[in-house]
Amino acid sequence: MIPTIARHEWRLLKADRTLAAVVTLLALLVGFSLYNGSSWVEFQRQTLDAAKAEQTKRISRLTQDLAAIEEGRMQPKSFQDPRSAGAIGGTSAAPYLAMPPAPLATLAIGQSDLYPYYFKLNLRSKQAILANDEIENPTNLLAGRFDLAFVLVYLFPLVVLALGYNMISAEREQGTLSLALSQPVTMAQLVTGKVLLRGGLLLGLVVAFTLVGALATGVDVSSQTVWMRLGLWMVLMTLYTGFWFGLAILVNTYSTSSATNALSLAGAWLALVLVLPSIANLIATSVYPVPSRVEMVQAMRTAGKDAQSRGSMLLSKYMEDHPELMPAGEKPQVDFASVTYAVQIEVDKQVQPILDRFDKQVDKQQEFVDGFRFLSPAILAQSGINDLAGTSLGRYKHFSGQVDGFFETWKNYFLPKIFQKVKMRSAEIAQLPAYAYAEEPDSQILSRVAVVLAGLAALTTIIFGIAYSRLKRVSIAS
Amino acid sequence: MILHIARKEMLEMRRDGRFQIASAIVLTLLCVSLAIGWQQYMAISRQHELARAETRNQWLTQGQKNPHSAAHYGVYAFKPRSPLSLVDRGADNYTGVAVWLEAHKQNEFKYKPARDANTLARFGDLTASSVMQLLIPLLIILMSFSAFAGEREQGTLRLLLSMGVAKDKLALGKALGVAGGLGVLLVPAALIGSAALILASETGSFAANLPRLSWMATSYVMYFAAFIGISLAVSAVAKSARLALVCLLGFWIFNGLAAPRLFSDLSRAVYRTPSSFAFSQRMEAELKTGFDEVEFKKSVLARYKVSKLEDLPLNYAGLSLKAGEDHGNEVFDKLYAELWDIFEAQNRLQQQGGIVAPLMAIRSVSMGLSGTDFAQFRDFSVTAEKYRRAFIDVMNTDIANAPKTEAPHLGDKNLWAKVPAFEYTSPSVGTVLSQQAWSLGLLSIWALAASIAAGWAATQRLKAE
Repeated sequence: MIPTIARHEWRLLKADRTLAAVVTLLALLVGFSLYNGSSWVEFQRQTLDAAKAEQTKRISRLTQDLAAIEEGRMQPKSFQDPRSAGAIGGTSAAPYLAMPPAPLATLAIGQSDLYPYYFKLNLRSKQAILANDEIENPTNLLAGRFDLAFVLVYLFPLVVLALGYNMISAEREQGTLSLALSQPVTMAQLVTGKVLLRGGLLLGLVVAFTLVGALATGVDVSSQTVWMRLGLWMVLMTLYTGFWFGLAILVNTYSTSSATNALSLAGAWLALVLVLPSIANLIATSVYPVPSRVEMVQAMRTAGKDAQSRGSMLLSKYMEDHPELMPAGEKPQVDFASVTYAVQIEVDKQVQPILDRFDKQVDKQQEFVDGFRFLSPAILAQSGINDLAGTSLGRYKHFSGQVDGFFETWKNYFLPKIFQKVKMRSAEIAQLPAYAYAEEPDSQILSRVAVVLAGLAALTTIIFGIAYSRLKRVSIAS
Repeated sequence: MILHIARKEMLEMRRDGRFQIASAIVLTLLCVSLAIGWQQYMAISRQHELARAETRNQWLTQGQKNPHSAAHYGVYAFKPRSPLSLVDRGADNYTGVAVWLEAHKQNEFKYKPARDANTLARFGDLTASSVMQLLIPLLIILMSFSAFAGEREQGTLRLLLSMGVAKDKLALGKALGVAGGLGVLLVPAALIGSAALILASETGSFAANLPRLSWMATSYVMYFAAFIGISLAVSAVAKSARLALVCLLGFWIFNGLAAPRLFSDLSRAVYRTPSSFAFSQRMEAELKTGFDEVEFKKSVLARYKVSKLEDLPLNYAGLSLKAGEDHGNEVFDKLYAELWDIFEAQNRLQQQGGIVAPLMAIRSVSMGLSGTDFAQFRDFSVTAEKYRRAFIDVMNTDIANAPKTEAPHLGDKNLWAKVPAFEYTSPSVGTVLSQQAWSLGLLSIWALAASIAAGWAATQRLKAE
């Protein structure tokens, strides 16, 4: 029975001009948004390539300089010895730590325009490294991007509602509802047939346009993780589309006019997509306010000033704690570089609790809104798509965790050499600790997305459950 | 007659449960967002005030040291929040709050509040401005989409016209009715907003903000007038109330949701922002070239007609530092001006988007008057940079004029106190208005054109059947 209804629906839709309009509109929206996504990914790739090239050039020049000094072809300047561990670890061999765009990054710009995707390492404080970010016009950051996620999360539900707001009411208003139900068909079958056809059609269009667009903009589909992500993305889109159709059926079961249905659905969309997230954000920022970073800046300076005044004392204390670092056959000698780093270590130690306090407050706020997202399918869908595209906050945390770890490795390699005043040799440059971004394991992404999918599935099931249980009460004639 | 119609419209609205609920929600959101905006403004500006006093204190009590190390120690400038930011936060969350002013370098602003925000922040801030820019137009549409089309469908339009009501009076009455309905909502909100602003301003500064506030109110009235006009015009022309609603909702979505992102991405495609990497590489390269220490030394010796640096009446170190600073400043001026001009070109293109979407115009005006747009961020950056150059110059002059002795030259409290505290006054309302001329012009055109369209549609195109 249901296939028959779907077939008839198809004929009706085909005869209607709406279908052509929907297809054109979706194609334009998906095309434009994927263009924006891919140009942003291309921008990031080019930047990372340029940084990589600069790093290679810089390190090969350093190696040559060191070799020249070793062979006696060059005299090092006394105040700027290129062999000193501080100069090598701090600038001349400092690597860029990069997180390349994930394979499906074109799908959602997400938080990637806000958080840095590479850092230039140095030997100073972690804050000095982390505070850098990409240049961007603040007005553009405020508006957000016209990316595929925006089209899918904000605009696509409106297309769904435009096709679904009068599913039952139009038949009733035309007087065909009683006619249809006089056939051996139940209301549930009729509605299911309609939803399957319309939903399947919309979903098919969006998925097809996206896949074509993704292939055209050079998404590499050869790896397994890409297919896993695309598969999960399709499941997410199915559930999200389902939710909005469920809502359309529910509103239709109240037997009101098509115009009233349209108003109610527009109101629901407004509440779920625009108002609820803003309210949640407002509550979160009021309950867990994050203080301005100026407080942290001042605390860091106070700590720095304090440590600076005790510089030589800190150095000798550090040397007492680490006698193995004492330059051979010397008394603890106060030199500028050693004092600087001893001070730095002390400042880092003092500032860490303040940084932790900020992070904790930000985390609390995030936890709060993570709980809130189950109230709105739009928030769920957005966070799921960001995770699959690799532009979510989760991935940035994963990356900054790696940066933290490597920064420690780098410091542990160089600081002892600085205190021992070691002159490094050209052969050592190739042996420096090397960084390579390790992608989040699929299981980790899966576990985050699974929560989102479960939430969406629950919302969709609930809405369909209520809608179908109310179908019997729908009045047949107006 | 006009007043009769207006009163009838308002009465109908009052009796309509849907309208009541919608207005109650909008009014609540408006008041809550104002209250929270006020509270957050107070908290943040107190923190900035403390930090400002603290950084000044750190500078003054840094102890005896070489003036150049003092220049390296530097000071911080913190971007103050303007009191009107409680109405419109604008781009404030996306600009850094602190910049380190130190020797040799014009630094970037660091610590965007958005990086400490939760993931929902990108769905949009709930502020009084977002309620007024997005939700109130929607309310206007709900109030007026059936103004003519609905009366026609119910058959009352024929009745009205048969009674000899002039169509233009009918249109005016309807418009006044909608405006009156809005007024019931907005006047209390405006009073609460002003009260919050008075509480947020230090004594006397509320008066200073009054011109900005009244221009802002005028702009929003124009924006709402445009929406009333458009809605009435569409309602008069559309075949059915349903069609009128669909068209108006379509326009609302384009205006409020699609346009900001669309024009932002278009402006990025037309005026390309360089990457931070490319920018800093270029800066490094330009700083390295163009200043030759050896040449400079020769020119100094020639200028003072001496053959050795020791014979100079001044300390060479100070002169060299000054010259290095001058060269750097030239490079910073050029590169930052180029970068910021790109941003401004992008913003101009977005303002021109106001031709098709009035939101682009009101957003720009509202941010500008609130002091939270890019132009005023730039103004602050430039002021901070001027301050940096001035205080570095005080240090370098001191080094140049220091007595020539063997002992290292140290600066002390008196020298630090020669540098005045950093003060910033935001640009005058006139400056802001001239920056926003385009948007203000577009807004008034929208309001005027929409009113004319409504009048024209009601008198020429309105049919009883």
